[in-house]
Amino acid sequence: MSIFCLGLNHKTAPVEIRERLAFAEKAVPVHLAEICGLAGVSEAVVLSTCNRVEVYGGSDDPQGALNSLRDYLVSHFSITPDEVEFYRHEGVAAAQHLFEVASGLDSMVLGETEIFGQVKKAYATAHEAGTAARKMHKLFQQSFSVGKLVRSTTRIQQGSTSIGSAAVDLAEKIFGKLDGCRVMIIGAGEMSRTTAQSLLSRGAKSIIVSNRSFDKAEELAIELKGSAVRFDDWENCLDEVDIIVSSTAAPHAVVTHETVKRVMDRRRGHSLFLIDIAVPRDIEETVNEIDNVYLYNIDQLQQIATEGKERREKQIAVCREVIDEFLREKGIEALGGLQESPDDRVSNEPRTGPSGRPLTQA
Amino acid sequence: MDDLYLILATLTFLGGFILAVVSLRSERGGAHGLGIPLAVIGLIFQSLFLQVRGELHGRCPITNGAEVLVFVSWSIVIMYLLLGRAFRLSLLGVFTMPMVFCFQLVAIILLAVSDPGARPPERLDPWLELHAAMSLLAYGAYGLAGVAGVMFFVQDRQLKSHHPGRLFYSMPPIRYLADSLTRLLGIGTVLLTVGIVAAFFMKDVPAMQHLLISGAVWFLYTGLLVVHSVKRLAPRWLSVSAIAAFALALLSLSAL
Repeated sequence: MSIFCLGLNHKTAPVEIRERLAFAEKAVPVHLAEICGLAGVSEAVVLSTCNRVEVYGGSDDPQGALNSLRDYLVSHFSITPDEVEFYRHEGVAAAQHLFEVASGLDSMVLGETEIFGQVKKAYATAHEAGTAARKMHKLFQQSFSVGKLVRSTTRIQQGSTSIGSAAVDLAEKIFGKLDGCRVMIIGAGEMSRTTAQSLLSRGAKSIIVSNRSFDKAEELAIELKGSAVRFDDWENCLDEVDIIVSSTAAPHAVVTHETVKRVMDRRRGHSLFLIDIAVPRDIEETVNEIDNVYLYNIDQLQQIATEGKERREKQIAVCREVIDEFLREKGIEALGGLQESPDDRVSNEPRTGPSGRPLTQA
Repeated sequence: MDDLYLILATLTFLGGFILAVVSLRSERGGAHGLGIPLAVIGLIFQSLFLQVRGELHGRCPITNGAEVLVFVSWSIVIMYLLLGRAFRLSLLGVFTMPMVFCFQLVAIILLAVSDPGARPPERLDPWLELHAAMSLLAYGAYGLAGVAGVMFFVQDRQLKSHHPGRLFYSMPPIRYLADSLTRLLGIGTVLLTVGIVAAFFMKDVPAMQHLLISGAVWFLYTGLLVVHSVKRLAPRWLSVSAIAAFALALLSLSAL
């Protein structure tokens, strides 16, 4: 018996197709039972997220199983075969693909960790539905090991990949855990809202919103479960906050060196992190020269995010080395029977993996 | 045999530092976890050295400059192992090991140039032993506070520069560094106070120079802590003070 994988992801299909093919969470056990009823399919796991729909399975006739599975998906989700092109992997290539998915190498945000939980959940659902047997058990257990190994021995998670995550990562490098941090937003724009949400998602304690239009400030404060202050009063709240996100449309500096200096004298050594995402800038540049004050503007955050992305992209090769080493040292043997697929049978010829790169043979 | 233990301890700390640097520079971060095991191995060799020297003298082995340097290094490593993880200070070992290596290298040179040999006490005084051991453990805490101060500067500089390098992502948050620095200064001062109190019970009154220097170090650190608790010094100033104070304390050791 050999394993196989059929699917599509954010690289191969637009969102219009992915949303049509997405499995409803509650319906997955039913689909799994139906897939296992297809000709040649003896085991199945469905991994359905916003960025991918993949079915992993075990079969004595992987080619036949892949064909019947494709027909099932096309008919079940009312898609014409011309609309979608599924990728297909068999044997070691299928295992390698899953290992890359679990490691976050196939994700839209390289190295993200959410996918690891989603893979675990997909396997657990199949296990409960009784459609994951020996092959799938071994394959997915291996993928969990590889996912952890890749994250612990490489730097794929290091560095920020967006302006929001760069702001949050910097905040954590200043304050540690953000659960005691208070945030002030000056200017109720979209970027402020996104940044504030990122900070809240990492545990920031409370949000104070100030805006020239008090109604807008209140609206955003309600959305973020914070409080609103009038624009004339925001300076009076500076003593209470640790992070300030500023994005007003003012043509001049809103937060001045003098204001921050005065506040810092009263803060008794507590750091202040200022994020200026306004253009023109809201915060005077010289504020960064004050002890214990860290000011970042939108270009600097963007630069960090760009460098973070580049750093992660460079790590892809390192991660793949880890996966290849794993497959070479114990993966293939432990999975057993993967070589049974004609394409993956042990040979001296170099093989290519899902991304077209050569695979290392055990 | 004691020489061998000291050389092995010194090489272990050098190896730990080199491994950590290589790990930080490499694309993979696997060797990073070897820091603590290597610090433990180094500590074992240091302890063996101090045990042999202690047996040689029949008392706490702090009879010459080399032994004092090794004892201070031993205290720093103990403090690092006890508190580094509790204070969530990753990379503390990377910054500590070069300092310990340098201290011990000087100790090796000093012993190679002139080893004064056995200096058994005229009479054993447990209060003297307690005074010496507590004081040098305090120096260990102060040394580690100095290391935390250096780390604060490195991290502060990276944050201010807007171009965080690879080291930035492995370093602890600056708030943790500032908090740990204060705690280490407090721990050191408590230990030094116990050491100084023990000195009042010693059978022989210590030399005036010794009393003055110990008192000056105690006043320096206690003063720093009092000023910090009253005026809440900025972490940058606290870091500068911790580094400068430890440099002064080390210099004072040479006079004792």
